[in-house]
Amino acid sequence: MQETTFLILTALADTSQHGYGIMTAVGEISHGRVRMRAGTLYAALDRLSQEGLVAIDREEIVGNRLRRYYKLTAAGTKQLAAEATRLHANAIAALSRLKLAEGMAT
Amino acid sequence: MTDSADLERRYSRLLVWYPAAFRHEHEAEMLGVLMDSARDGQHRVGLADTTNLVRAALTMRLRAPAAAPRTVIAAVRLMYAGAAVSLACWISTVVTEPSVRSAMVRAVAARWPLMLVHITAVEALLPVIVVGWLWLAWANGRGHHGARIALVAYFSLITLVLPWMLGIGAAVYAPADLISMAVLWLIQLSAIALIFNKRSEHYYRPAEAS
Repeated sequence: MQETTFLILTALADTSQHGYGIMTAVGEISHGRVRMRAGTLYAALDRLSQEGLVAIDREEIVGNRLRRYYKLTAAGTKQLAAEATRLHANAIAALSRLKLAEGMAT
Repeated sequence: MTDSADLERRYSRLLVWYPAAFRHEHEAEMLGVLMDSARDGQHRVGLADTTNLVRAALTMRLRAPAAAPRTVIAAVRLMYAGAAVSLACWISTVVTEPSVRSAMVRAVAARWPLMLVHITAVEALLPVIVVGWLWLAWANGRGHHGARIALVAYFSLITLVLPWMLGIGAAVYAPADLISMAVLWLIQLSAIALIFNKRSEHYYRPAEAS
């Protein structure tokens, strides 16, 4: 899974969000490292909708503008959980090996 | 006109790059997000935003739908690689043309008219070939049966052209050109193997049904 996809799915993990909300959440999740732009976001949302990982939750009109909220589908939740578990296991393995390497060096 | 209306009009103009169906569904929403992301007093679209929007729009226009089998998606990527190789080949031919011409005369002087035909054809036809590759990728990505046949026809043509190039001494006066043609031939062969794979079969439908 690409990092952009992972971050968007993570932004939607606990609540539905509109486009600007997702962009802000991605910035927060990545501690400001990833600044997602609207073009990237909507190309990803289009693909994720086609794949059935996200869906439209509801629409609102705020200040004469359409706001569409997106949510994770059951398939999206399952795929995000699987990817997070995989990344977590890899990170644990890396940290554990780094500690081992430090131990051998001293 | 206010800065805000001016900026919205500029963003709106950039969204024309997106596919019509997508624009119909998401234009108002995207404009809202773009305007929410704009700085106070901003009235022009920045270079980074322009590049991002145009690139994303082209990606959406060119990529295969998510429903396409993996074999077709891989073949489509190969065809875009074919377009990139053809473009690189065209640029290198145009840039190195004088040295290629003099190498032609030195190497196999007696056959220079044929080589001239070769170089001129490459310069004139490669831009068309780049567009052809892009069309092949786009149409195969959407499961058009005719695009599969077109790729086979193109493969057959290159299969005939390669020995002809070898025959007129291209290996001596334009080795890079010959190598790129061989690379394109291999790309075509791999893409054909993928789109005629059993897993791709259900995705293609007869032209009359599309």
